[in-house]
Amino acid sequence: MIRTSGAALLVIAALWAWAVVAAPVDSMQGSVQKILYVHVPCAIGAYLGFLTTALCGALYLRSSDARYDRAALAAAEVGVVFCSLNIASGPIWARGTWGHWWAWDPRLTATLLLWFIYLAYLLLRAFTDGSERTARFAAVYGLLGAVAIPLNYFAIQLFGGAAMHPENLRRGSLGEGMGLPFALGMFAAAAAFLHLWLLRIDLEVRRVELARSLASGGEQ
Amino acid sequence: MNAFLAVLWKDLLCEWRSRDRLVAMLVFSALVVVVFHFALPGGAGAQTRANAPGLLWVATVFAALLGLGRAFAIELENDALAGLALAPAERGWIFLGKWAANVVILAVVQAVTALVFAVVFEVDLLPVLWRFAGVAALGSAGLCAIGTLSAAVAVRTRFRELLLPLLVLPLLWPVLSGAVRGTAELLESGSLSFEPVQLLLVTDATYLILSFLTFEYVLDE
Repeated sequence: MIRTSGAALLVIAALWAWAVVAAPVDSMQGSVQKILYVHVPCAIGAYLGFLTTALCGALYLRSSDARYDRAALAAAEVGVVFCSLNIASGPIWARGTWGHWWAWDPRLTATLLLWFIYLAYLLLRAFTDGSERTARFAAVYGLLGAVAIPLNYFAIQLFGGAAMHPENLRRGSLGEGMGLPFALGMFAAAAAFLHLWLLRIDLEVRRVELARSLASGGEQ
Repeated sequence: MNAFLAVLWKDLLCEWRSRDRLVAMLVFSALVVVVFHFALPGGAGAQTRANAPGLLWVATVFAALLGLGRAFAIELENDALAGLALAPAERGWIFLGKWAANVVILAVVQAVTALVFAVVFEVDLLPVLWRFAGVAALGSAGLCAIGTLSAAVAVRTRFRELLLPLLVLPLLWPVLSGAVRGTAELLESGSLSFEPVQLLLVTDATYLILSFLTFEYVLDE
């Protein structure tokens, strides 16, 4: 499974890199606009991570199956990585086009808060003792945090006012030749998320097994 | 339902007898107002009045965080939390009882803070008093929903005082955004549009329903 997802990621990432290089240079913004093909897919990776965290958390609360908790933890960590990349790539683009590193735009603020919510989720896990209690508390907080995802997606319509970010994309709203690298970027982000998520779950499984074998070794 | 009334009554009675949480919150919010006076160069000038809605809600949130931390810390004494968990009632109602007690205590703090604000920063709240009370009630309902659930979680972690604001503040933004926008509209024009009220109603309902349903897993031992 991990090898298949890794191979799929390699193929899609290679196609995406080719499409980004071949994509036309924006007539207004110049080559800095190409950061679009990294910036938006990273947001998709973050959404995927946080939605998976909430979903796996809800499944854990229903079943108390530790596998769901490991999946939720892995998704949150990978989601935070994607969200960090999204927040880091934004200011580079913003400096090139808006002239500022940062603007308190509704979408930007909402994304920053989403990042803080899942950092708090990881801190909550770190500060709670006992694996079963940690899993329950984290699942509850992950579900509450998921409320921020639709608010983030519809931030510009909801919080109105002056927004530097465009409204959500519709078919044909990108320039000629920009649709393919954009779509490939989305697929590449989804493939990267899937691969990293599986790797992280595998790591967690090994960590739990190691802890178990150390504990049983200690008893003997 | 009986559990809801019993927990609400117990919390309010405890608070009435000791008054320690309420007094600490009131003194703290008054102190925050004084800190604003020193932090803002204009004192009670027009600039401060323009920022009053935000400052008022910041003072409220800080005071609420202080009080919410105690809401479940008192249940740790004599292992009362285990008693709550063992109570033969649906745990969602226990959550609602705790939540309602927090809303009542916060309402007293908000009323006094608003009065202090109105006096020292020359903000005229009287013409919009009832609508302001409505926005404040909706804002504190959402704040206490997230805060009560997070306090129940944070109280059984290490560094609980550190963790509570980290858990509450990022989730609070839709509530705070609606409350500050509603208050600003009232102070600027004396009227209130439906948008901030709608945002408050939707987020309050979402957080309350989620907290009601998930409290069972927070209290479960």
